[in-house]
Amino acid sequence: MAELALLTWTFLWLSLLCVGGGLGVIPEMERQSVAIHGWLTAREFVDGYTLSQLTPGPNMLIAVFVGYRAHGVLGGLLAGLAMFLPTSVLAMVVSHHWQQWRTRRWAATAERALIPVGVGLMAGGVYTLARTAIHDAPTLALAVLTALAVISDRVPPVLAILAAGTLGWLLTR
Amino acid sequence: MRRVSLLRLIAVFVWTGLSSLGGGRSAYFHDALVRRRAWIRHDEFVQDFTVSQVLPGPNFSNLAVALGYRLAGIPGGVWGLLAIVLPGALILVGAARLYLHGAFGGSATLLMQSLSAAVVGLVLVTTLRIVRASLRGGRGILVAAITFLAVGPLRLPTVGVVLVMAAVSLALHRAAPAPPAPRAERGNPEGTC
Repeated sequence: MAELALLTWTFLWLSLLCVGGGLGVIPEMERQSVAIHGWLTAREFVDGYTLSQLTPGPNMLIAVFVGYRAHGVLGGLLAGLAMFLPTSVLAMVVSHHWQQWRTRRWAATAERALIPVGVGLMAGGVYTLARTAIHDAPTLALAVLTALAVISDRVPPVLAILAAGTLGWLLTR
Repeated sequence: MRRVSLLRLIAVFVWTGLSSLGGGRSAYFHDALVRRRAWIRHDEFVQDFTVSQVLPGPNFSNLAVALGYRLAGIPGGVWGLLAIVLPGALILVGAARLYLHGAFGGSATLLMQSLSAAVVGLVLVTTLRIVRASLRGGRGILVAAITFLAVGPLRLPTVGVVLVMAAVSLALHRAAPAPPAPRAERGNPEGTC
């Protein structure tokens, strides 16, 4: 019971750190889930992120993956609710009032000042994923190859990932 | 207040959620609600998109809630959220079951390792694009670089880093006049969560 409460509470405050794309919360989510609470291994975390990237819907379904790994279906449900529900209520309230708020100067300054922090967090997210996912020359080559394919804008990202994954699998098998 | 029936809203949102593979992409919503159905005007969409980016929380679900609320009030927001989260969550729990119970053993482990490496390539490009579109001037780059070092290589707790760096950034951005704001490019259709 206490464990479930801890899981829910952790994802609740993590959801508030989810700024500038879900990637920004990845360093802290990994720290909490792997190093501090031991809900899963670093490998499982990266694989979970990969699965949620390949699953329809928001990437932040990684919360459901971690919760499910830690405490089964109930854990997945609670982690998911904690990740999506409170910030959704906030989104509804703010979008209702945004018309009046958007012109205020403090809002513009805050936005301008917070963007670089969000960008730094996202870059930290890339680093956190890479630390586990890139461990030898083949995985590095696959990452570079996928990056080039995505930059070209000729292939949908999901196809690029699936193609690179299959290629790596065939070569290392 | 209600522009469309809840049933139609749910159907369109479920489909949008399911087709936005590879991480939610707000462009799918724009296509479904503004271009193809004219349920929402472009300027309304941009406003909801901005709100969903600025607020904390997964921005794809924030966007769904804001659009759903606009279309059908509070029930629209609630059902909009459920419609884009639930189907993916069920699929993910199924995949997680297979993965965690060893169905991914052996050569499938190698497949997951290759897929994960490829995902790093994708998120790297997404992040670099956002860096290019949204960082202007030395102050912003400095703040972003220190934040990156702190939460990435140094593995410091994000809450403390954000509190300190947000204060530093606010001080820096108040001290000097703003560089040309790159607002038009702020769109981040691939980086949404």
